[in-house]
Amino acid sequence: MMLWLLLFFPAPIFSALDKTHGVQPAHLSKYIPAPGTPHPSWACLDGSKTIPWHAVNDDYCDCPDGSDEPGTGACPDTQFYCRNEGHIGALIPSSRVRDGLCEKECCDGSDELPGVCKNNCKTIGEEYRAKLAAERKLQKTGSKIRSTYIAFAQKEKKKLEGELQNLEREVIQRKAEVARLKDLADRAESLTEASMEQKRKSPLFQSLLTHHRALKSLQKVHREHLQREKALGDILDNLRSGYNPNYQDMAVLEAVRGWEHFAGLPHINDVKKDDEESQEDDSSPDEELPVEELEEGMWTETQLEHQLDSLLGSDYDSLLLEHDKHTETTTVDSILFDVFSYIPDFLVPQWEAARDAIFSFLSDLGLLKTGSTGKGDETGRARKALNDAEHSLKLTEDEVGKARTDLDRLFSPEWFGREGEWKKLEGLCLTKDTGDYTYEVCLFDEAKQKPNHGGSTFSLGRFAGWNDVAGVEKGSPVYYSKQQYTQGTKCWNGPARSVQLVLACGTENALLSVAELEKCEYQFTGTTPALCLPPDAGARTGHGEL
Amino acid sequence: MRALSSLLLLVAIPAALAVKSHDFKTCSQAGFCRRGRALSARAAAHPQWTSPYSVDADSLSISSDQATFTAGVKSAIYPDIKFGLEVRVHDDGVVRVKMDEVGGLRKRYDEAASWALIAEPKISKDIQWTVGTKDIRAVYGDKKDVEVVVSFEPLTVTLYRNGKEQVVLNGRGLLHLEHFRKKEDAKPEEVTSEEALESEGTQQVLKTPNLHAWFEGEEEDALWEETFSSWTDTKPKGPESLSIDITFPNHGHVYGIPQHASSLDLRTTTGESPYYTDPYRLYNADTFEYLADSTMSLYGSIPVMHAHSADSTVAVFNAVGSETWIDIAHSSVSSTETHWISESGILDVFIMPGPTPKDIFAQYTRLTGTQALPADWSLGYHQCRWNYVSSEDIRAVQKKFDEEDIPVDVFWLDIEYAEEHKYFIWDKKNFPDPVDMTNDVAASSRKMVVIIDPHFKRTSSYPVYQEAVDRGLIVKQKDGQTDYEGWCWSGSSAWVDFFNPAAWDWWKTLFKTYKLGDDKFSWTESTEDVFIWNDMNEPSIFNGPEISMPRDNIHYGGWEHRDLHNINGMLFSNLTSQAITVRGEVPKRPFVLTRAFYAGSQRFGAMWTGDNLGTWEHMAVGIKMVLANSIAGFAFTDVGGFFGNPDPEMLVRWYHVGAFSPFFRAHAHIDTKRREPYLLDEPYKGMVKDILRRRYSMLPIWYTAFREASTTGLPVARPHYVAFPKDEAGFSLDDQYFIGSSGLLVKPVTEKGAKEATVYLPPNELFYDYDSYNLYRSPATGKKITVAAELDQLPLFILGGSILPTRERPRRSSSVMRHDPITLQVALDASSSARGELYLDDGVTFNHQQGQIVWREFSAEKSGKGIKISSRDLTTQHLASAVDSVALTTYDPANAFAQSISSVRVEKIAVLGLGAKPSSVKVVGGKELEWEYSSGVSASGKKEGSSSLLVIKDPAVSVASDWEIVVQA
Repeated sequence: MMLWLLLFFPAPIFSALDKTHGVQPAHLSKYIPAPGTPHPSWACLDGSKTIPWHAVNDDYCDCPDGSDEPGTGACPDTQFYCRNEGHIGALIPSSRVRDGLCEKECCDGSDELPGVCKNNCKTIGEEYRAKLAAERKLQKTGSKIRSTYIAFAQKEKKKLEGELQNLEREVIQRKAEVARLKDLADRAESLTEASMEQKRKSPLFQSLLTHHRALKSLQKVHREHLQREKALGDILDNLRSGYNPNYQDMAVLEAVRGWEHFAGLPHINDVKKDDEESQEDDSSPDEELPVEELEEGMWTETQLEHQLDSLLGSDYDSLLLEHDKHTETTTVDSILFDVFSYIPDFLVPQWEAARDAIFSFLSDLGLLKTGSTGKGDETGRARKALNDAEHSLKLTEDEVGKARTDLDRLFSPEWFGREGEWKKLEGLCLTKDTGDYTYEVCLFDEAKQKPNHGGSTFSLGRFAGWNDVAGVEKGSPVYYSKQQYTQGTKCWNGPARSVQLVLACGTENALLSVAELEKCEYQFTGTTPALCLPPDAGARTGHGEL
Repeated sequence: MRALSSLLLLVAIPAALAVKSHDFKTCSQAGFCRRGRALSARAAAHPQWTSPYSVDADSLSISSDQATFTAGVKSAIYPDIKFGLEVRVHDDGVVRVKMDEVGGLRKRYDEAASWALIAEPKISKDIQWTVGTKDIRAVYGDKKDVEVVVSFEPLTVTLYRNGKEQVVLNGRGLLHLEHFRKKEDAKPEEVTSEEALESEGTQQVLKTPNLHAWFEGEEEDALWEETFSSWTDTKPKGPESLSIDITFPNHGHVYGIPQHASSLDLRTTTGESPYYTDPYRLYNADTFEYLADSTMSLYGSIPVMHAHSADSTVAVFNAVGSETWIDIAHSSVSSTETHWISESGILDVFIMPGPTPKDIFAQYTRLTGTQALPADWSLGYHQCRWNYVSSEDIRAVQKKFDEEDIPVDVFWLDIEYAEEHKYFIWDKKNFPDPVDMTNDVAASSRKMVVIIDPHFKRTSSYPVYQEAVDRGLIVKQKDGQTDYEGWCWSGSSAWVDFFNPAAWDWWKTLFKTYKLGDDKFSWTESTEDVFIWNDMNEPSIFNGPEISMPRDNIHYGGWEHRDLHNINGMLFSNLTSQAITVRGEVPKRPFVLTRAFYAGSQRFGAMWTGDNLGTWEHMAVGIKMVLANSIAGFAFTDVGGFFGNPDPEMLVRWYHVGAFSPFFRAHAHIDTKRREPYLLDEPYKGMVKDILRRRYSMLPIWYTAFREASTTGLPVARPHYVAFPKDEAGFSLDDQYFIGSSGLLVKPVTEKGAKEATVYLPPNELFYDYDSYNLYRSPATGKKITVAAELDQLPLFILGGSILPTRERPRRSSSVMRHDPITLQVALDASSSARGELYLDDGVTFNHQQGQIVWREFSAEKSGKGIKISSRDLTTQHLASAVDSVALTTYDPANAFAQSISSVRVEKIAVLGLGAKPSSVKVVGGKELEWEYSSGVSASGKKEGSSSLLVIKDPAVSVASDWEIVVQA
């Protein structure tokens, strides 16, 4: 019973607690009592309240800001400082103070009652330093590789700059050529425009245009149908390979069976079974779908696919002229126009003026039909020359654009880094075999899931950028620790597949793990030397402080 | 075009996310239910309807102990068929009525009660049956106010209290046990008997072609075979259904018969303009993506019903294991007629006389057992998802919780941890180190729950399946010989027959965490920190009728699956629970979550509301379901909904619902986005963190409520009619409820965009807002108040007269709070008094059953002009009812557990509603204490508004010892 009486008041565990227990070094100077009667007093750190000095660290939360209990955890959402002598000091949340668990972060055990946790700081400190040393070594090796990447980028820069210069020169030349040809073509056309208008009114030509438009519409509709069929096929393929018995749904099973019959595919369960037994037997459709005979002269599917575009791209005006040429025999003009070829450029304007005069004259005499039929040859030729030149110019300009983009991206923080350290890795493909699938990411390009036992490969997304979230500075190591690949193949009943590639410093470019944390949202982890900053640079960014 | 078509596809999906009603039967698609309803319709159409069943008074025999009588029962429509009746009265006044066919062609299933009952009930010792010419009756009860009367012709059983009819069996003449017959006998008989129906004397009767058509109908309806969708039920035993009407002539409200997504106060299904058209159905089924307002069957079935009025509460437990449909009608506002139609089994009805809800819970749990006292950590927050994909994933999730300082106790693994869904067998590609993973979780005093489903992949390389086959434990097809094969997660699967006693010990060995001597499988890749989730145990079978097992499958003892379908799932979780308890050297409290359940499941673990949808409707109906399930066990609903992606607003509200459910688990379907609390943006993340911390601060209140539930059966989530049984205005309330006997009243908000909420306060009480300490008074008529309910606010009130013990130090898990100090909130009532309880034990072992407990009462009462707050032991005065399962004989207040928490002190006392500023606050025998007072409304006055608040700083008194604190005016 005496024992029981003792239990009446729990032992005052914290009475002897140092008032600065748990106070972080920066605040130590603030934990000093102010003289007062009957007790010395102390002001809460936010100044909101003055309490007796003995109420500091007395295991009861007095201050609204919780500052009076740095060492007991009595005030929620405050922090406790472990000195961790022999290691590095650490702040832990008050929720972990006096909870009976020994924190790794608090290796001196000062967050718990005496006797609960051993002081492990010596061992933990040694381990930590060893780990740190190993990390620094890795970082050092990695950073050497990284510096070769940077050198590569410098070389790339020179190369690109050289290319760009050449290309820009070429553009200037091509532009001049285009200007010259355009001038010629314009003249030829202005000469014939009026007569062309007349010709275009021909019922045959109008009918041709109607056919053209109808064919073009048909092609558009056809393409949409093909796309829809492909999309539906994809959906059904996904359904077939990915349908979930959870839905316990005979309708889904019916759909899968129906598709397999239609597309001549074996039943998916049989495929899976076969895979387990032997992985050969590339099952092929049992029956070919009957092929309809084509009428004489009808286009095949391949022709439709490859030749329809060029047919639709015909220059009808040229055709019109050719048609005239075919039906009439007037060839009076040709010399006049052929003259073009023999006149030096500087004489062209004069020649044109003269020519126009001759034309009007001839027309007036009725010797030459206005709209001069056969001129088509010349106009068409001039225009073709112009088109070709313009096309070449565009190609060259595109190359310039690409070279400029490449050059811009080379040292852009949003692409290959301020030092261009990622350029070397562009298009480098890393893979990870997880048994059922091989996952691949080609850096700055595309991520894929390739089944190891047959089935279709899915795109998991294309490169969309780095770790561009609020609070992360562009170009910082944290920024480069994640790459996003988005807009991959859409999942059945889910989002478009995507990948977050989480990278860390390592001496090799490698993919370490693949996890589908949410449906169709993958997380890859990997290493790359591109993330290995030189150790001293690391210290600058706040790592490894001791 | 492309964009449009994808859009259409997206729009089409939600429409597909709804239960396939056509996968599940309506009454009209079940032969016996059709027959039962037709019988009821014939009876209703006939003014002089009389039951053909009568007691053969000559055969009546009273047992030597006087409590039981037996008698033969005759059926006027089948004079050659014999029935036997047995009626007995238990020592607590429960009346058990049993009726079976005697000497029939076959045996009706009569084992349902044996699985549901915890023990053979004690027979009344002071009952005296009086046999009359028309009836046999007995009067009993402390005040001799209860009488049970069994009338002979026709057979009826009526329970009276104070001369008022409480429960009537067969009052409407719908009792019917379809006797076993031979198929060839089933031809219509050419007999016309005017004699048998003399009393009727109508033309219609004369036309009757056979003796029983007036009762059973002209047509044979699906007696011998029945097809639903593509499945044919062969019904080799023919018709054997059971029909009984149970009437509560003086009770206008009925509750219970879970599980349905419906209101707590059951609605009408028949009679004049019924609310539902189909009867409430009890047939355990995997009704995925179920409707939010329906009588459709869900995952569990408990055939118990409370009938309530301001005068009294009574209840019936109809111990039947087969599919059962229940029609409900109110012929007046103050009466209820029910009709129970079951596919097979004997009549075995327990009538519970009440007269209060508290008595009903005591009577029901004396029959089927109380809820087991759960491990304390299981009341913390459970984080689940289908699926955490790897050990690293689990570690990363734990790390995130810790980084955000958000408390969590349990991480769950759904089916994808198991290689090819072979439960127990880890998928080593993703979980290479299951024991290390569990130990990493356990290092922060947390646990894991891993799923074990009852379908076993049929592959000889799977030891669990192979051992079950070797031992002949697989459920058989209708031929009784061939192992049944069905389709589930694991593909082609088999089901162990847990009705077979040979399965019991074997199942327990599987969970041993060490290697067994005989080279048999045991779960060495688990630890004692791994607990179990039993899902899909309805059983769910993807290619079976109604996504379950064919009814003509054969179980141990030759019983058909139809006979015991609703009991089947309970046996699985029962055995798992036992296995977990005894797997280590020291028995520890199990934690097993089950989806299927039956009467008695409460003894084995928790249940939940199954695969709900992440919608506001499902959140709202989830509360009603938890209250309905609470009648018979502890239940919770998945936070956030299983299917779908709730928006942050819905999620925050759902966390409120979860934090005030007996169990608290967040779960998510594999197709959903991750939604762990730390993933939310502010301000939602902070709100959820606050909710979780509040749950943890209130764990002492929850645990104390669970002690009460485990000894009295009174539910932890307590409906208003149970807390205030005389308050008629609250009989249909099911959107607000109380937490145990603590006095906490909660009204979760389940409407989108809500800014305020209306809360009903029962008559003549006062309530304090938990957060603002605003005081409300309700007049004699009760009162509705409207309070602010912004997203970060939960309407939560303390009933005046309550003392709440909380722990206000946020921690990362519940187990590390065991030594944290207690804060008391003393909410005074109008007479300036209050009381509350606190129950503590080690939380994990069964040492509490040896008296290793601390069970305190805190009280506040007037003392002079001030008050006195004191703490005293409760165990010594209530030895027999202190803990579950056993009656203590002695109690040592200085037991080892009490000593281990002697340093746990009361760190703060907040007194609400004090009349005036005190002059002194002192521990009796101790020093003057520091305190702060802010003036406000006094509990003993007439005003409403901000209440006065006295905060006593650190009285430093132990929670484990007696003390008194005097607050002097």
